[in-house]
Amino acid sequence: MKLHRYITNILAGLALAATFVSCKKDYGNLNSPTVESFLANASASELNNLVSGTESGMRFNLALYLDDVGTIGREVYRFSASEPRYVSDLLGASNAVLSNSNFYITNPWASRYRVVKNCNLLQDAATHSTLISTAQRNGYIGFARTIKAYQLLLNLNLTDSNGIRIVVNDPDKLGGFVSYDNALTAITGILDSAKTDLGNASIAFSLSPGFNGFSDAAGLLQFNRALAARVAIYAKQWSAALTDLGGSFFDLNKDFNLGVYHVFGNGSGDQLNPMFIPQLSSGEVRVAHPSFATDIQPSDDRISKATLRPPASLDGLNSNRDVWVYTSSTAPAAIIRNEELILIYAEANIQTNQLATAVSALNVIRQGHHLPAYGGPVTQGSLITELLYERRYSLYYEGHRWIDMRRYGLLGQLPIDRPGDDVWSEFPLPVSEQP
Amino acid sequence: MRKFIFFIQFLLPAMFIPAALSAQKAITGTVIDPSGRGIPAATILINHSSQGTSTDNDGKFKLTVPPGAELTISSLGFLTKTIRVGNDVNDLTIRLEQDVARLDEIVVTGLSTSIKRRNLANAVATVSATELNGTAPAQTLDGALNGKVPGAYINANTGAPGGGTSVKLRGVTSVYGNTQPLYVVDGVFVDNTATSGGLNAVTNALANGSITSNQDNPSSRIADINAEDIENVEILKGASAAAIYGSKAAAGVVIITTKRGRPGRTRIVVSQDVGFIKARKLLGVRQFNAQRAASLSSDSLTGVHLASEFQSAQAAGKIYDYEKEVFGNTGFARNTLLSVSGGNERTGFYFSAGQKDESGIVRNTGYRNSSLRLNVDHRINDNIKLSLSSNFINSSADRGLTGNDNAGVSTGIALSSTPGFAELHADQFGNYPNNPFAASNPLQTIALMQNNESVNRFINGLAFDATLQKNDRSQTRLIARGGFDYYDLQTNALFPANLQFQAVNKGTSIQGSTSNLNMNALFSLVNTFTPSDKVSLTASAGLTQETGDYNNVLNAATQVIAGQSNINQAGALTATQFRSRFQNTGYFVQEEATLIDAIALTGGIRFDRSSNNGDAGKFYAYPKAGLSWNLTRSGIVNDAGFFDNLKVRAAYGQANNVPAYGSKFTSLVISNIAGLPGSLIDIQEGQPGIKPERQTEFETGVDFSFLKGAVSIEATYYDKNVYDFLMLSNVPSSSGFSTKWVNAGNLRNRGVEIGLNARPIANRLITWNTSVNFWLNRSLVTRLTIPPTPQGSFGYVLGTFQIEQGKSATQIIGLGGPGGSIAKWGDAEPKFQLNTYNEISFNNKLSLRFLIHVKAGGENVNLTNLENDFGGTSADYDKVTNKLNLPDAIYRITQIGVSAQEFVQNSGYVRLREAGLYYTFNRLPVHGITALKIGVSLNNFVTITKYKSYDPEVSNFGTGFSSGVDVDPYPATKRADLHLSLEF
Repeated sequence: MKLHRYITNILAGLALAATFVSCKKDYGNLNSPTVESFLANASASELNNLVSGTESGMRFNLALYLDDVGTIGREVYRFSASEPRYVSDLLGASNAVLSNSNFYITNPWASRYRVVKNCNLLQDAATHSTLISTAQRNGYIGFARTIKAYQLLLNLNLTDSNGIRIVVNDPDKLGGFVSYDNALTAITGILDSAKTDLGNASIAFSLSPGFNGFSDAAGLLQFNRALAARVAIYAKQWSAALTDLGGSFFDLNKDFNLGVYHVFGNGSGDQLNPMFIPQLSSGEVRVAHPSFATDIQPSDDRISKATLRPPASLDGLNSNRDVWVYTSSTAPAAIIRNEELILIYAEANIQTNQLATAVSALNVIRQGHHLPAYGGPVTQGSLITELLYERRYSLYYEGHRWIDMRRYGLLGQLPIDRPGDDVWSEFPLPVSEQP
Repeated sequence: MRKFIFFIQFLLPAMFIPAALSAQKAITGTVIDPSGRGIPAATILINHSSQGTSTDNDGKFKLTVPPGAELTISSLGFLTKTIRVGNDVNDLTIRLEQDVARLDEIVVTGLSTSIKRRNLANAVATVSATELNGTAPAQTLDGALNGKVPGAYINANTGAPGGGTSVKLRGVTSVYGNTQPLYVVDGVFVDNTATSGGLNAVTNALANGSITSNQDNPSSRIADINAEDIENVEILKGASAAAIYGSKAAAGVVIITTKRGRPGRTRIVVSQDVGFIKARKLLGVRQFNAQRAASLSSDSLTGVHLASEFQSAQAAGKIYDYEKEVFGNTGFARNTLLSVSGGNERTGFYFSAGQKDESGIVRNTGYRNSSLRLNVDHRINDNIKLSLSSNFINSSADRGLTGNDNAGVSTGIALSSTPGFAELHADQFGNYPNNPFAASNPLQTIALMQNNESVNRFINGLAFDATLQKNDRSQTRLIARGGFDYYDLQTNALFPANLQFQAVNKGTSIQGSTSNLNMNALFSLVNTFTPSDKVSLTASAGLTQETGDYNNVLNAATQVIAGQSNINQAGALTATQFRSRFQNTGYFVQEEATLIDAIALTGGIRFDRSSNNGDAGKFYAYPKAGLSWNLTRSGIVNDAGFFDNLKVRAAYGQANNVPAYGSKFTSLVISNIAGLPGSLIDIQEGQPGIKPERQTEFETGVDFSFLKGAVSIEATYYDKNVYDFLMLSNVPSSSGFSTKWVNAGNLRNRGVEIGLNARPIANRLITWNTSVNFWLNRSLVTRLTIPPTPQGSFGYVLGTFQIEQGKSATQIIGLGGPGGSIAKWGDAEPKFQLNTYNEISFNNKLSLRFLIHVKAGGENVNLTNLENDFGGTSADYDKVTNKLNLPDAIYRITQIGVSAQEFVQNSGYVRLREAGLYYTFNRLPVHGITALKIGVSLNNFVTITKYKSYDPEVSNFGTGFSSGVDVDPYPATKRADLHLSLEF
């Protein structure tokens, strides 16, 4: 049968051709390093890249976070011609509610956990690296833990009683959600282990100018304790807060703006300050809530944080002041600074009934802003009211008022601008976290 | 491929004919249709030789033949006929019978084999040159296919010049994998990547700070191919037909065959089109009065100011219709083509040079395409044939700035909040005022910005066909074919510093450079064994390899020096680079058997591996099988009865879709701070074990014709299942990742396609050919291993797609169900589609052609009107037609957060896609000109739809899964052309 021969021919031909294509190709990742490459004995420079990536990543969706907290806390309005949900969902216009699938919760939440993941990778990579000293390893791990704790805290600020996940090392086996109180305890725990790490550390990495004065082991330790003090007042651990302040850069006599910052720049791969919108813009604007100007005390120089503009309005909301906290596209944004620490000091003293100490701390703030010394009743209640005023204006659009009012159960006092608007107390967990 | 069979027919026994034959004689002849009119361009081949010719415009031919020669005469639309030339005959008249079912058409069924349609087991759609481009030519090839392919859902993304069309064959076949078919031009796998020019850097449509997004409205690269060079297009719609194409065939294969030279007189055709382009529809603008102007602000002081602004504008006669100013322009189009074709029995060639240049309806937008093609076929000897296809293309598209954005800069978004009493026009020095109502002044943006894509592209294919062995029962051929597709794409998006929205960035220049090289090669051996005239067996086996190498560099510079676009003339620069490479390798064997020319059996299997799979070395097997049984030919049904031809058929096949490049890696992206290089974990988690998605398709059908072949019907049912479909699944973002590639589940598409071809009138005066096609598809997600996942839209509030087990894959859901629940408000899948293509010719001179396309149902997410409502500018803002007695716009705004129903809108339409009237003069007094054709055509001129935006065909997210989201697109256009063509 001739056919047989042809089949043999065909097979022979194929075998010949097969050799032409037999080598298997696997091109690897042509575009970027992979997790595996970091876990296989990372060099110091690879670890340093993770440190900078972590610092850089903290800035992602920062404007959205501040708009979330600032809008619900009735500090600002974000008017956008193309995004109605800033003024509908966040303010609870008529029937609008906070959705678990919308950008205002999913984006900042994911960005914070992305940094947490980077911190965990940094921690693992440093642990596996044999190319660094033990002290250097402690430096990397202490930094990673401190930043991780801070990022977890920001997410907890959004979801409040809905809680957060703490253990997120293994994407396939994520730890469960923990309640608000337990989350604060866990964050404190992470900050405390970082404190131990940093106590025996040498810092082999560079940080941005945002960490100027705090980029060595001692400075990072002060930064770590400053964050711990903030967590302590959230947890109502007043004496712990005072202890933490002792280890931080808290100083009644130093510049309010002393602290650690996010910095921005227009270098390659860097970011501009996303909170910056030029004054007198139209279309995309961020304006102060009208109560900012009506509630402020005469001569308070913090009025300069919202400058006059022709009225802007959207969807029944109006304002004639631009938010002017970040005054250029490369202006830094505070992570934590001395002014907040002084206010933490005042608050902890009020709560521990050291009222005279508290008043003098509050007066440091007031005098710093051209206000007369506090003249109201020296009672815990009045001083808390005074404290909340100072926090409102000192930390305006830095992500505090909504959380402060919530801590004191005062969300009901926030102004309602349109009939049917709501003041939300927390964000739902993002849809991706739903079981 | 089509001609190949003809060559085989005369090649096969050629060896046994003595080389020298005496007494050749010259004959003349006419090939006529049943009504007695000449058939132009019919092919006449002398059996057992390599000689032949084709008829002229009157159906006449001249040929030198040996005594007793047998001639095979064929022409598309007619049954092929074989005749013997009598010794005393010098002038022949050959009448061909009509073949409306195209039973004798040759259809490609394997990588190197083909079959007559009468024996085909699949419903393979064919679009001829006349249907594709001969009625009312569209701007680009992708648009030209629209409405012409039964079983396809084709949707234009925008009206922006340069194309951009989504083609989905038999439903969605993938969610996040490739949903678009593989395009093969003359055997070369051509790239159809849509490469973003980086507009997200200014629009921030995807609010994550990246330079690119899937909302940047790039064109599809298939648009580069000049439709006028195309001889025909075959569409393999699913795995049962396309299995043999393997790795890239899961979404179907579009096989494009370009024109080639025929033996005979050299034919020179010069054609010139001129035309104009207008917006298909404008939405209109709100008519303001003082009170309405005041109501734009809820602040009473501002309101007073706005009212007085309106009044002074009105007094000065300065109320403008900005929509009309921006989108109401007329674009002019010209298109020139020169083609030269001809050849002899050894060599044939087709050469063409063409250029089209069109301006858009928005100023400073337009499209230009220049193309050169040379196709050469050469027969080295009776056994070896070489074919070269070579194409160079230079195209340039200025696409404007439209679509979704979060920065108030795109044209439509800026217009949406700009009332007619605003003054946006430049002053006498040419300076534009800032637009107080939006973040940008659209007139200024249009005048000063650039968004250009320009491409230089080479597509070259080479085919080698050698007969290794032949005798009277067996023939073995080696077929080697391959080619490359290389292009260099430059994108230039420039936004100078004096634009209103460049106050912060002080000028943005985004320069992209992409090079892409695709290569593919096929080696196969084909044996045809014919033990008797009742049995024919064709065995083929071979191997294929495809490689791709894509390199995209995108530089976004800000703080650009005035008047400059170079990225080094800037204060700040962000550079990105993305590369991808793949190599797919496949082995295949296929056996086709034809018994008594009535039963055709096909079986084959292909083994594939791909570097994109988790395991790059693993071969996956994809089988296919088909059976067609012609009941009339096999005598089971009497062909003298009602049916002239009756065939039942069934086919089964599998194909795959490889994972996207890089889906197996967990990467770290660059994220710098203060000059320190940073590595930040990517939001996409890698999946080292990723597998290709596997599609299986079963189709069955019946084809029959009656009334002496005047009416034919083709009915097909298919059931297509995609297993392990790839999804970029949302993972709990607390993992640090947002998405991860997973093989997430299974989905099914079932559908019906019914086609009718008829020639209701055929007499000496009038011929009317008509085809009517009906098709529908239903999809179902049969298994999903991850939670229901919303896809590519704007969330439940405004309506979103969602992949959910037990639901249609293309459902659109949103708020508004009972008790605040999520409800289904629509489905992107049309209820059914219908088209009818008609060609009525009078006296063989005047030809009227038209294509009507009906898309019944199917929903879009329409946010264009909503944007206008927000901006207070919608034309129907103040109408009151809703149940709450509010102005309609206010009502719609109150629906946000209540129900998405308002935004999920029926996008069905009835569209006169193409209509053309052509007249051919073929007895011209001028010597040398053999024909003059003139014509007029209308494209997209009549559309009947209830859809409330520019056009029901729209896609803010381009060609991916979620088409039909409507956010201030570049409006769809209609066009009218005048055609003139001269043949020498």
